[in-house]
Amino acid sequence: MVNGYVPASLAEALELRSSRDVVPYAGGTDLMVENRKGVDYLFLNKITELQQICEDEQYIRIGAGVTFTQALESPLVPPLMKEAVSRIAAPAIRNAGTFGGNLGNGSAKADSVLIEFVADAKLRLCSVSGERIVPVEQFYLGRKKLDLRPDELIVEILLPKSGLEQYVYEKVGGRNALAISRVSFAGVFAMEDGKITNVAAAFGAVADTVLRYRDIEAMLIGKTIDEAKALKGSYLDAYAQRMVLTRGRVSAEYRKTVCMNLLEDFLTRFDI
Amino acid sequence: MERISESVVKKDHAPKVSGRSIYVADYPSEGVLCGKLLHAKVARAKVLRVEVPPLPEGYFYVDAKDVPGDNNVNIVLDDTPVFCRETVEYIGEPIAMLCGPDEKTVERLRDECKVVYEELEPVIDLSAATHAFFDYHFGHGDVDAAFAQADRIFEESFRTGYQEQAYLETQGMMAVPEADGRMFVHGSAQCAYYIHGAVARALGCGPGGVHILQDVTGGGFGGKEAFPSILGCQVAVAAHKCAQPVRCVFDRREDMEYTSKRHPSLCKYKVAVKDGKVTAMDIDVIFNAGAYSTLSAVVLQRGIIAAPGVYNVPNVRVHGCAMKTNTSPCGAYRGFGAPQTFFAVEMMMDHIARALGVDSLAFKQSHLVKQGDMTSTCGRYHFPVPLPAMIDEVDAVCDYRRKREEYAKPQTGRYRRGIGMSLYFHGAGFTGSGERDIIKAVAKLRKYADGTVEVLASNGEIGQGVRTTFPKIVAHELNLPLDKVYYNHPDTARVPDSGPTVASRSLMVVGELLRRAAIQLREKWVDGIEQEVEEHFREPDFLIPFYIDKFQGDAYPTYAWSVNAIEVEVDTYTGLSKVLGAYGSFDVGTPIDYNVVMGQMEGGFLQGIGYASIEKMDYDAKGRIRNNSFSDYLIPTTKDVPNLKCMLHVERYPDGPYGAKGAGELPLVGAPGAYVEAMEQALGGVALHHAPFTAEDTLAVLTKEAI
Amino acid sequence: MNAICFTLNGLPVSYEGSAADRLLEVLRGTYRCTSVKCGCKEGECGACSVLIDGTLINSCCVAMGAVEGASVVTMEGFRETERFSVLEKAFASVSAVQCGFCIPGMVLAAEALLSKCPHPTEEEIREGLSGNLCRCTGYNAIVNAVSIAAKEGKGLW
Repeated sequence: MVNGYVPASLAEALELRSSRDVVPYAGGTDLMVENRKGVDYLFLNKITELQQICEDEQYIRIGAGVTFTQALESPLVPPLMKEAVSRIAAPAIRNAGTFGGNLGNGSAKADSVLIEFVADAKLRLCSVSGERIVPVEQFYLGRKKLDLRPDELIVEILLPKSGLEQYVYEKVGGRNALAISRVSFAGVFAMEDGKITNVAAAFGAVADTVLRYRDIEAMLIGKTIDEAKALKGSYLDAYAQRMVLTRGRVSAEYRKTVCMNLLEDFLTRFDI
Repeated sequence: MERISESVVKKDHAPKVSGRSIYVADYPSEGVLCGKLLHAKVARAKVLRVEVPPLPEGYFYVDAKDVPGDNNVNIVLDDTPVFCRETVEYIGEPIAMLCGPDEKTVERLRDECKVVYEELEPVIDLSAATHAFFDYHFGHGDVDAAFAQADRIFEESFRTGYQEQAYLETQGMMAVPEADGRMFVHGSAQCAYYIHGAVARALGCGPGGVHILQDVTGGGFGGKEAFPSILGCQVAVAAHKCAQPVRCVFDRREDMEYTSKRHPSLCKYKVAVKDGKVTAMDIDVIFNAGAYSTLSAVVLQRGIIAAPGVYNVPNVRVHGCAMKTNTSPCGAYRGFGAPQTFFAVEMMMDHIARALGVDSLAFKQSHLVKQGDMTSTCGRYHFPVPLPAMIDEVDAVCDYRRKREEYAKPQTGRYRRGIGMSLYFHGAGFTGSGERDIIKAVAKLRKYADGTVEVLASNGEIGQGVRTTFPKIVAHELNLPLDKVYYNHPDTARVPDSGPTVASRSLMVVGELLRRAAIQLREKWVDGIEQEVEEHFREPDFLIPFYIDKFQGDAYPTYAWSVNAIEVEVDTYTGLSKVLGAYGSFDVGTPIDYNVVMGQMEGGFLQGIGYASIEKMDYDAKGRIRNNSFSDYLIPTTKDVPNLKCMLHVERYPDGPYGAKGAGELPLVGAPGAYVEAMEQALGGVALHHAPFTAEDTLAVLTKEAI
Repeated sequence: MNAICFTLNGLPVSYEGSAADRLLEVLRGTYRCTSVKCGCKEGECGACSVLIDGTLINSCCVAMGAVEGASVVTMEGFRETERFSVLEKAFASVSAVQCGFCIPGMVLAAEALLSKCPHPTEEEIREGLSGNLCRCTGYNAIVNAVSIAAKEGKGLW
């Protein structure tokens, strides 16, 4: 095959990845729009190891080659992820687009990546020399900058099995389908024994990477609802100060207002 | 329903649904050179020279020097060049065409061409424009006296943006030198004879030296009215130089950035009110024409004639101008200048009503024109104006009046609703005396010995159904089965000039010629021989002659009427708005095919809603269009307006076939007024002044309100 | 040098060109499947939709290497089926075809939808066709056509 390799197994793919100058090709939906000239593709669509969705004690493990449509049809994938994925583009794109590709494209607009951020997902990255597990937040270094070595492939997304039951997801696109996110928001909330144990908030499509501020979240952790209510003002102020957003198809001001509205609504929905 | 209105299977259905139809890009590439345009990268500059890379054997560089005839494309004026002159006037202006057998090589060579510019100061912003291509004044009554006697005077300005036709098939033309020396040009187009004239002139060969075929065309909406004349000249000049067939098909970005769109507008209204009635309007309409005049004259004419709306205003003064800026030339788009002014006048009337503390619809209704009233150009509304009945029809399907009242009450919470209504017309056919003085349409029928009948006319099927409705009319008159009558895509070598496929005129004007021709043929019919009949346009007797220099007389023989209501729900957190329902009553006279007409109404209405809401296109400080792809310029999908309800109200037009009048453009025109009125209500009764009104605009209003 | 082998409309073919070539262009150019239309080349319009192993895919967003071993169906193949004839009649009955440029892709999207969901609600139809832009019709007629096809094609899907 000219300009391409079609490995049948992950081992073969990793071998090619380490020995050749190849661009990993998953669903093609972003890559083919970029239309890079003179590259050799490493086609990953024949590797069954990358197309599994399974679970272990801690995680739902989504193979990097799983398409969004496959995820929507799987009983294992949590509702939060399904909701986000169901709003991606349109059926033909969801049939081709993959979780690995959404990550590998390095965009902060990637709808599945937002969920991985808010859910504290980890990624399993493999190379011929071994594998490492990296939290998704550390994987994203900046716009189109990923902590992915030239010999590595994204193999699996490890989504925590529990803790994602109470959530808010909002996608703000330009229309009701075929819409790239202009702002996306996901919030996950959990309480135990009357105290807040998780109040994760992630903002997509508004900066170079998905935004999440753990230190601000920490303000509310361990607090009762009433205590959290008292802190709500300073919590929101902290976000308002911290979030410096970029302009894109819409202005930075618009994005900021939407982010703050959605954040406040997130708290309100959980009675804060 | 009349028999003629009953729907049939469209004549072009089978080839299109099965993918067998051949569009211009679908002809085989063997022996055809691929042409790619070298576009200017700056908005205004002298082109000092172009450094062309060494061209491999069989590759060509074609520019103005290769034009054998006249390097000016005739549209309304002759200012648009085939290839640029000494200067370029907008980003995207064609400097040259690179041609050759391999597309990728042609692209590479084109990209390697280095254009050396001496940059000149461009005019990008409409407010900085000083050169008016066209400047018109008209009016009637004593406007100054009315203002002097007014109780109140209202002054507001309204803006509208670009709209891109976004036909699914991009522009594409192909030129083929023929053995007999003629140049054969075919492609995606609305007006074969416009291209014919333009190409003959560019080649300097006389009308007999070229012929033009309209290929199966993937949508036009006005975007393929004038532009294919330019592209047709370019491929013809290239084919002439290369002595081989040349085809140029635009990619989407090229098409969105560089081809003609709807004119952005600024409309200033000054309105006098006395005793609760509008007594005068003083209206100033400014259209951004872009770098060349193309069709701006006629677009502006239609826009300003409609500027007082459907209202009886005793004193009117209108000034309109189309300004030159160094941006992509604007041109025809469904509605043709009227969507801009109807938006302005509908908003203006709504704002005045609210300022007077009266119901907006009641206020509008108290000013409605009726049969026998004078038009803005001192013509007459010769036929009944069915708007009152249509308002009631729309009210009945969407409970407009009750909702309008309910949503006017203070709303709280995340989601808030509004409903708005627009009332408007579309003048049927060409503006003024163009049909009589310029087009002089001729249509023919040829009956073959086997009893089949061919329609010979030059109106192109662009989805609107003329390949079906023309034969339907003829078959109806001849009492023949529909499959005995057919209408092929027009080739100027064998069809008469029945005029262009524009102005909602094809069915009303040419359809009527064909009906008369069919009657003629019926009377002369002799079995077993070939026969031909011909009909020429005749102006209806009742018309008050129109003088374009004075804007006086009947600008249109009749009008198509419409009432739109749009209901929205605004998400105050995100600014997104959902169209809960869009309801339209449309009077286009007798539908010649119910499904065909409904398809036009639904499609046009949705385009109008897009124009009002999500279709935003803008340029940057350098004059470059930023929204140049389908991911940056958003048009409605299946999920955006699921509740789109169209109804027909039939007010027959005696001079159209079986009572039909212009249809195609009407449904687009009124959506911005209805939509933005609805947004005003949802946003707590604010006054809004522009369209499209986007999510970002919505949130800006809400943020201001919060402060 | 290995060619890329796949089946196109049921027939085995082998493509000798680059694995990086765009399926859309190869289908139109090499195999003359001109029912596959190019509307945008970035997955935003659906005019180039094809079925790959039965799933709806934008052929502009597929490199040839990805179809190795796959089954590709375009309108050239689908129009020979009974399902097509049901869809074709349904589209005809409501005059859902105007300029026609989006239609081959639209019909394949309808086929993909009905294969998964033989009795779709209107909302499901609108979702199933949401990646296929049509500028002419306002979509009502197309949505009605698919709904009619679902009723008329009893047992076919």
